[in-house]
Amino acid sequence: MLLPVFTLKLRHKISPRMVALGRYDGTHPCLAAATQAGKVFIHNPHTRSQHFSASRVFQSPLESDVSLLNINQAVSCLTAGVLNPELGYDALLVGTQTNLLAYDVYNNSDLFYREATDGANAIVLGTLGDISSPLAIIGGNCALQGFDREGNDLFWTVTGDNVHSLALCDFDGDGKKELLVGSEDFDIRVFKEDEIVAEMTETEIITSLCPMYGSRFGYALSNGTVGVYDKTARYWRIKSKNHAMSIHAFDLNSDGVCELITGWSNGKVDARSDRTGEVIFKDNFSSAVAGVVEGDYRMDGHIQLICCSVDGEIRGYLPGTAEMRGNLMDASVEQDLIRELSQKKQNLLLELRNYEDNAKAELSSPLNEADGHGGIIPANTKLHTALSVNLGSEAQAAHAELCISTSNDTIIRAVLIFAEGIFLGESHVVHPSIHNLSSSIRIPITPPKDVPVDLHLKTFVGYRSSTQFHVFELTRQLPRFSMYALTSPDSGSEPLSYVNFIIAERAQRVFMWLNQNFLLPEDTNIQNVPFQVCFTSLRNGGQLCIKIKLSGEITINTDDIDLAGDIIQSMASFFAIEDLQVEADFPVYFEELRKVLVKVDEYHSVHQKLSADMADNSNLIRSLLVRAEDARLMRDMKTMKNRYMELYDLNKDLLNGYKIRCSNHTELLGSLKAVNQAIQRAGRLRVGKPKNQVITACRDAIRSNNINTLFRIMRVGTASS
Amino acid sequence: MDLNLNRADYLQVGVTSQKTMKLLPASRYRATQKVVVGDHDGVVMCFGMKKGEAVTVFKTLPGQKIARLELGGVLNTPQEKIFIAAGSEIRGFTKRGKQFLSFETNLTESIKAMHISGSDLFLSASYIYNHYCDCKDQHYYLSGDKINDVICLPVERVLHDVPVLACQDRVLRVLQGSDVMYEIEVPGPPTVLALHNGNGGDSGEDLLFGTSDGKLGLIQITTSKPIHKWEIRNEKKRGGILCIDSFDIVGDGVKDLLVGRDDGMVEVYSFDNANEPVLRFDQALSESVTSIQGGCVGKDGYDEIVVSTYSGWVTGLTTEPIHKESGPGEELKINQEMQNKISSLRSELEHLQYKVLQEREKYQQSSQSSKAKSAVPSFSVNDKFTLNKDDASYSLILEVQTAIDNVLIQSDVPIDLLDVDKNSAVVSFSSCDSESNDNFLLATYRCQANTTRLELKIRSIEGQYGTLQAYVTPRIQPKTCQVRQYLIKPLSLHQRTHFIDHDRPMNTLTLTGQFSFAELHSWVVFCLPEVPEKPPAGECVTFYFQNTFLDTQLESTYRKGEGVFKSDNISTISILKDVLSKEATKRKINLNISYEINEVSVKHTLKLIHPKLEYQLLLAKKVQLIDALKELQVHEGNTNFLIPEYRCILEEADHLQEEYKKQPAHLERLYGMITDLFIDKFKFKGTNVKTKVPLLLEILDSYDQNALIAFFDAA
Repeated sequence: MLLPVFTLKLRHKISPRMVALGRYDGTHPCLAAATQAGKVFIHNPHTRSQHFSASRVFQSPLESDVSLLNINQAVSCLTAGVLNPELGYDALLVGTQTNLLAYDVYNNSDLFYREATDGANAIVLGTLGDISSPLAIIGGNCALQGFDREGNDLFWTVTGDNVHSLALCDFDGDGKKELLVGSEDFDIRVFKEDEIVAEMTETEIITSLCPMYGSRFGYALSNGTVGVYDKTARYWRIKSKNHAMSIHAFDLNSDGVCELITGWSNGKVDARSDRTGEVIFKDNFSSAVAGVVEGDYRMDGHIQLICCSVDGEIRGYLPGTAEMRGNLMDASVEQDLIRELSQKKQNLLLELRNYEDNAKAELSSPLNEADGHGGIIPANTKLHTALSVNLGSEAQAAHAELCISTSNDTIIRAVLIFAEGIFLGESHVVHPSIHNLSSSIRIPITPPKDVPVDLHLKTFVGYRSSTQFHVFELTRQLPRFSMYALTSPDSGSEPLSYVNFIIAERAQRVFMWLNQNFLLPEDTNIQNVPFQVCFTSLRNGGQLCIKIKLSGEITINTDDIDLAGDIIQSMASFFAIEDLQVEADFPVYFEELRKVLVKVDEYHSVHQKLSADMADNSNLIRSLLVRAEDARLMRDMKTMKNRYMELYDLNKDLLNGYKIRCSNHTELLGSLKAVNQAIQRAGRLRVGKPKNQVITACRDAIRSNNINTLFRIMRVGTASS
Repeated sequence: MDLNLNRADYLQVGVTSQKTMKLLPASRYRATQKVVVGDHDGVVMCFGMKKGEAVTVFKTLPGQKIARLELGGVLNTPQEKIFIAAGSEIRGFTKRGKQFLSFETNLTESIKAMHISGSDLFLSASYIYNHYCDCKDQHYYLSGDKINDVICLPVERVLHDVPVLACQDRVLRVLQGSDVMYEIEVPGPPTVLALHNGNGGDSGEDLLFGTSDGKLGLIQITTSKPIHKWEIRNEKKRGGILCIDSFDIVGDGVKDLLVGRDDGMVEVYSFDNANEPVLRFDQALSESVTSIQGGCVGKDGYDEIVVSTYSGWVTGLTTEPIHKESGPGEELKINQEMQNKISSLRSELEHLQYKVLQEREKYQQSSQSSKAKSAVPSFSVNDKFTLNKDDASYSLILEVQTAIDNVLIQSDVPIDLLDVDKNSAVVSFSSCDSESNDNFLLATYRCQANTTRLELKIRSIEGQYGTLQAYVTPRIQPKTCQVRQYLIKPLSLHQRTHFIDHDRPMNTLTLTGQFSFAELHSWVVFCLPEVPEKPPAGECVTFYFQNTFLDTQLESTYRKGEGVFKSDNISTISILKDVLSKEATKRKINLNISYEINEVSVKHTLKLIHPKLEYQLLLAKKVQLIDALKELQVHEGNTNFLIPEYRCILEEADHLQEEYKKQPAHLERLYGMITDLFIDKFKFKGTNVKTKVPLLLEILDSYDQNALIAFFDAA
């Protein structure tokens, strides 16, 4: 069994996911972690005599080998590593919601301090693609930004939503690193420099990513899922009721392949095989795990796996030796295997006995009520399922409907639907009261997003008085655009907004795509080109028209730019289109965006004005304080009192000003997010190269503050007219 | 000395009941012993271990479910005759498997517990106790509540028969012939009895008991009165006790106490100089431990604890080290044995799989025909639904012989499901549809692989009653699920007790009318937990109850045509009144309900709540301060500048936080009960004060006892 080689207990709390190990003087590894009250502590067990005496760093009063770094703001991400290869030692990088600090611990100086308007939720340090110097890449509010050693902004791009996790990994095996971005819209995107090369949709917010080796990487979601991807294919995943706080790749059993080490919110640490997800080692902390890192903390030439808990407990593990033959847990593997096999045997025996009982039951009298009690039903009972669109009534909003019915007089006691992303939890249960039992059940389903979902159904079938039920298990797929009902083309006015593009596909293929992605009534027949289909959204009643001309030109009319993007992306993957240029116009949306852009300017100017005010006030404070103190020394108590009263008022003003600044800042962030999203959406209307061109061109337009060009790019896809 | 025990699985039989595995006496000291075990399929199996392989000595044919298995024989000779209780029959086998006894007791209920001493046979079914001598009926007793276990003090030492019954109503009944000599109240419903040291200790009168809420105690049963010697409270909130044995596993010459619990815990207690038990060893198995015994099975010369578990595993926790000091060849041999075992299992599995495939095909074909029927495999679910006194919540434990796939929990009353640290299942709460489908809670638990036991915690509200249903789906083919129902009673937080404080101010509810004793009893059963379903003997009966959350009490006395309920809590009386009148109307019985309200009782109840409320408020306040204080501590480096009160909070921070976490929503529950009390007080006066509730909540927010009492008086 693998035991920790060292255990430390620090008297500082550790903020979750804010742990990094670095050699800040080039030789001694030190642990840096964010703690309470906007501080970062650096645990340096190797050089005890060293004392910092500068303004930023001070000695921890609680422990001799810990020094504290004052950030004065909640730390939102932290990492350490080589930012400047010439220095020969590691830099510490600390991100907050407004700034990024690169800090030289050894010399106790700032390497750079940059404002990050989009915030820094996640940070990763390393080389990206062809950019030669190491970059500190931060991910914030829909934006990604990379800084070099001097703080120059060498990399900037946008992504679909707020970034929660970043990792660098050689995704396509070309020897250069790609950037993996996990964001709030459940997507993992892969950036080859600023070009998106792959997108994987997950089921929850991606909280952590870590490179394993080659193109393999681990991920963790906020619902307690962890798993491993190889390129775009998921190898395995497991879900726990606890949350994965930190994941890390480390070869714990010395077999030459990294395992996925996960630190959980309940204090558990486990190592899972990268291929199967099988647990090969586990340990327990008394409180949640804050971070998992690796390094030679004992300076004896062996790399340890280091796990930290939020209460400041730190344990280091050495990889298992060859003699342990990968057997890191105390229970013997053979024993477990025997148990498992024996359990299997019992299950098979149980099943066998059941068939025997069935055979006996067949010989006995025909079915009666008493049989139903024990869960006996006709053997030819079948379950039918059908998906359709229900336009709703006054009592109930429109929805997609799943109808389940049995083929005879048996009843459905309950239906369990396990599906990800469309219900509150992972499951939805329909359990009619005992008076309303029948042989068919209609279940309304309203997926919040346009994604295809697998519905895993478990249906309990039996009789009214049954205490034991048959469980019918089956899987149905809910099409991507199930929340759109087919309507006749002439009904309602056509939306003004449209996208226009040409694809070389036969009408039948287009119809196949329609059939696969929409819930069409069964009697819908194939029409000849040119044809037109119209849909109404069940969510907001918005119209959607898809027109195909003889020339292969497709026009999609909808006011929903996201929907248009989804349709184009779905078509592109169905028809395997690599590049697609699209002409688009969304007058309403563009008008809104124009307003947002105006607002952003306003917020910026307000921000500047407020900052200037604050600077003025702080000067005033200084002079007031001096005058008050003077008065005190002169024993002129009355003046002193007045001065302090003024100071008090000024302080109040400052506080108010701060509140205004805060709200201004949140507004600004919101608007910036909208802008970033607009660029992302404009990109999603195109496929392949044109998509990247649009994003790059939009960004340039925003940088040069050329709003008209921006809209032209969004419309036609290029800046040049 | 540290006790180090290694686990070795021997064999799996069918599902086992409590106390159905024994070791046959050894031929000499520390020689290997044979194991006999009886399961739910009715099979008695006797086996020994040879070179790591289980060698069957004998195995009987399947029959009725075996409830107990005991060893017996002529007194003062080796006890090596095997007796089993199945249905209402007792059967006896020699150690070679020859049946020498088949005794049909003609009891109407099936036998639940059995004790054997020489030619005396002590049996108990649910409520009936019977003593036979040489299979002739001697004595008989009808108990007021369910009998869980029966034992008799060693007759060779105390010189006459002293049978003791462990009854569900928290009482041990000591009998003399057919009469109760005296009753002993124990802290929980006793589930198992055992003789101390296996022989009743120094006096032969020392009796060990274990309760379903995990408590353990020793009582000396003297001829005149019981003497409580010690008691171990269940501080770690472990499972209920299912089996006890005495065996010197530590090897210090004093017999240790071996305990098996229903959450899979195996514990060893040894005794210190003052003869007080001290926990020496514990190990968690994954399922209920149904029987436990110390002995030697795997290898002679090595003592071990042999246990059987719910799903039928016979497992040894042995002192034999896994990795021996001897040469590397030895280890190889052990490995070889293991490999042989595995490969034989594998081939057996393959054979079975083939057979199952064939059967499956046949089954598929039969499903085409319209006449055929399809049954589902019946599997046994071991469930327990109990009220925890400590936090006034129910715990529901479900255990299945095979791995559980998922569990659906449905309730038609508003209840809260709490998280249990131990269970690893992924819980998901489903939205409850607005239609009149009577669903207040729908939740699924998707279990991780190899979960055979699931524990849930449920918080109920008094006055809201209905049914909780659990649909258990195990991982067996064809897929099937079983539904289990649990009643949430109107006074769900009450618990039976045997003594109450008669000096409290009481409110009285009196029922009179044309109803029988049995009818009224059934209503009491409907309202209150822990009441035996069978109407007790006699014309008039009195039960006492205690509210586990507020410590208020309830006394119920009833006979044919009249029932009197007294409680110091108005809400309790109010709930009873509502429920009883509803039940009576349902059965069209004319009830006269009269009540007497004691104004003082409200103040009294508020005073009872006061310390709890104050404690919770203070705790919440302290916990709120912890983070800020810690920050100050980090900033300033020491805590000398803080006032002692704050320093104290910092010192106790961990403890406080743990306490706070343990009692989620405790404060809200207290508030809820005070609000109920307020509404109920005025309901009896005929005024509706629901409009004043927001005012009450305001007062509670800035809590002061006098202000609250004044508000109750003034409104």
